[in-house]
Amino acid sequence: MNSQPTVEPVSFSQQFGTSWNAFWFLPADGRPLAVIRILTAVLGLVLWSSYAADLQRWFGPDGVVSPEVMATWRRAYGVSLFDAATTAASLWAVYGLGFAAFASLLVGLGTPIAAPLAAVLWVSILHRGPMLIGPADDVLAILLWCLVIGRSGDHLSLDARLRRARGTTPPGPSVRNRLALSLLGVHASGITIAAVLAQLKGDIWWDGTAAWWLLSGREHTPASLMAAMAASDYLTNLLTHAITLFEIAFAAGVWVAGLRGSLVALGIVAWPLIGWLSGDLAWGCGMATLGLAWAPETVCRWSGSAGGKSLVAGPG
Amino acid sequence: MKQKPHRETIGLLAVCQRSPSWKPSYSHPEVVVSAQSAGKSDPKSPQAGLPSETVRGFVSLFLALYLLGCALTVAGNSGSGASLLVSTVKSRLFSPWMVPLWLDLGFDYRLTYGQLDDADHVIVVEPWDATAEAQAIRFPAAGSSGIAANRWRTLAGWLEPEIVPEEVAGLLPTAMAESLFDQLGSEDLRVRCLRFAMPERSTFDAAAEPALEQATVARVRRVAGSVQLLPVEEQRDVAPVVSPASDQGGTP
Repeated sequence: MNSQPTVEPVSFSQQFGTSWNAFWFLPADGRPLAVIRILTAVLGLVLWSSYAADLQRWFGPDGVVSPEVMATWRRAYGVSLFDAATTAASLWAVYGLGFAAFASLLVGLGTPIAAPLAAVLWVSILHRGPMLIGPADDVLAILLWCLVIGRSGDHLSLDARLRRARGTTPPGPSVRNRLALSLLGVHASGITIAAVLAQLKGDIWWDGTAAWWLLSGREHTPASLMAAMAASDYLTNLLTHAITLFEIAFAAGVWVAGLRGSLVALGIVAWPLIGWLSGDLAWGCGMATLGLAWAPETVCRWSGSAGGKSLVAGPG
Repeated sequence: MKQKPHRETIGLLAVCQRSPSWKPSYSHPEVVVSAQSAGKSDPKSPQAGLPSETVRGFVSLFLALYLLGCALTVAGNSGSGASLLVSTVKSRLFSPWMVPLWLDLGFDYRLTYGQLDDADHVIVVEPWDATAEAQAIRFPAAGSSGIAANRWRTLAGWLEPEIVPEEVAGLLPTAMAESLFDQLGSEDLRVRCLRFAMPERSTFDAAAEPALEQATVARVRRVAGSVQLLPVEEQRDVAPVVSPASDQGGTP
């Protein structure tokens, strides 16, 4: 009797199904998502506090963004919890609640509640003043919704400390973490593709002068860099093409296992630099955070976990 | 026990539900060992951690719908317009639940096209009859930086005539003035949108302060509690008027 296992050819649909299952459903360690949670919360706190100084001037009872102005800019189906805040005190109350939600997310206290609360309040403030937002705000919304899906509070959090104090078994890998990481990864690649396609519709991204126009017309310009670019066509061209090439390489390369780690590491430096050049450092930091989802084993190493590699094969 | 070969399936849901086994990454891509695929109950099998087929099926269906929605939102918010088909499908099936979640996004972050609306903008509000610069309020304040200042610049950019739709062009200047009548102590205000000049590389002077140029101006006044937006005639460069009579040497 032949005890050798039989070998069957695998059809495309089987291969696709297997890859799909591995990409979306293979349980993943929670540490990478915990790191992303902390970075997201920091970004969220920075962006949320940017509303503090002018909160009443923008959204207050006599604010610039009056209900009539808001109704003109707001898209159909847009809703906001801030619509109910019609007095100065209630506006501060809702705003304070958002601050508390982001702070809880940062320290990982009550994360299963803090993450959705932060997400809901964040999109609420975006819907309240859609004419005030920039790319970083969009990216933060994506990050927050993905944190709602995953179990980002299982590690590096007060929730985990409290669990240990109670003697509860630490949670293992979870499918929800995999779903969250994979969604983050897909968005990182998708957003980059959309951005690079938009850029390539402009002539200046082809003739190599876009880097100059990124800085030109800004209130605060790095004069020394502009002087260097004004003196050298090649430097301007190099910076422009480097941005485009990095974005193309990132969008496509993260799907290739052999390139993923290097591109994510490069992205940690390159995205904030691109953001700084374009006048939106927060967007660059948000994109770098999104990109971390593609290299969870690297994030595991940073966060002090030795055993995550087999559990966090990464999206793709 | 030998497992039967799986049937070909075409639907995504069916593919995911019928996917025979989790294949370890070190297995040969072209073949699968049937003996391993029977190990669903084996705790060492990687498939042991996967959710049930039913759960995978439903989640996969939702994921496929969501990814389709994302593709349509990118195609439908591209800044280059969208086809009737894409915009109709998106607005009827996806926008009702993606817009409230702030997921109906184009992500078309062009960074710059080197156009006027890519420059930083500021808003300056002052009494219409102001004579001193000190009476003007600028948003963001001169020299301010950071994300809050960027939000003001974004708001000011919506006053740029090149990008704001004509039917809503007066809304923001009026709202700005309404919020500042009392602070400025005047019922008649001038709202100016200024943009930073975008120098060419050849004319760049590192020592010079960035120059401001006027993008648009509006006059807003409050009369008996009613707020009025008045058109402002822009001063244009015109050729000197030459009378035909003076050309002919006569008295104009």
